[in-house]
Amino acid sequence: MLWEELKESLIFLNNDEKCKKDILKKMGEALISEGYAQTTYVQALLRREQSFPTGLDIQGIGVAIPHTDPRHVKREGAALAVLKEPITFRHMEDEGIQVAVRLIFMLTVLDPEAHLKRLQCVLSIIQDAEVLRKLLTAREKKDIIRIIKTKEEAL
Amino acid sequence: MKKKVIVACGGAVATSTIAANKIMELCSEYDIDVEICQIRISEIESHLAGASLIVTTTKIKRDYGVPYVSGISFISGIGEAQTRETILAILKA
Repeated sequence: MLWEELKESLIFLNNDEKCKKDILKKMGEALISEGYAQTTYVQALLRREQSFPTGLDIQGIGVAIPHTDPRHVKREGAALAVLKEPITFRHMEDEGIQVAVRLIFMLTVLDPEAHLKRLQCVLSIIQDAEVLRKLLTAREKKDIIRIIKTKEEAL
Repeated sequence: MKKKVIVACGGAVATSTIAANKIMELCSEYDIDVEICQIRISEIESHLAGASLIVTTTKIKRDYGVPYVSGISFISGIGEAQTRETILAILKA
């Protein structure tokens, strides 16, 4: 279950980062220090986001799912950021479209076939606008874990 | 006859796995014999032979001369039913 892995050190709430690179770096470094990713992860992720952006618009809520190649990953994991102020990402389908992102789900993907359920679970969270709205109003990290747990248990 | 479907994303890892799985489920639901070729967008050209359909999660600008459907709805969940219908219409033709 995703919520069980979501340590408070992998949740970012009320951060002051104003630019995409800064927040992605901060989240990626947390995944590295928690043992989910190789030291090359952040640079690889930034490059991937540049060539293949991951912004999505879910009923007016901007979400991004940055990730990169398995060779920069140690094990399956996720970090989550809820942004006070939106940060502009480009859209996954059409890089010409800008998305004002409020929620970032950063993923370490090692073997998507073997962990398909996990990936599907992440998607079922980001596809649920009601859950996203709840995450946006969360005040504490434990609220975020609880919201995700509730959603996962209902799947 | 087996239909070959190319499913591609930036790295052939996360989003294409989701899209490929959705297409596989759809085809088994409608008894369509399908072969999924899950690759990177940069590899599409060398896998075109015999392909009936290309699905990508990132919009491709090139026309490969093969029917193309965006698979973004498999990721966003928005408009998925329409995408399924479009894919079915192409594969049943």
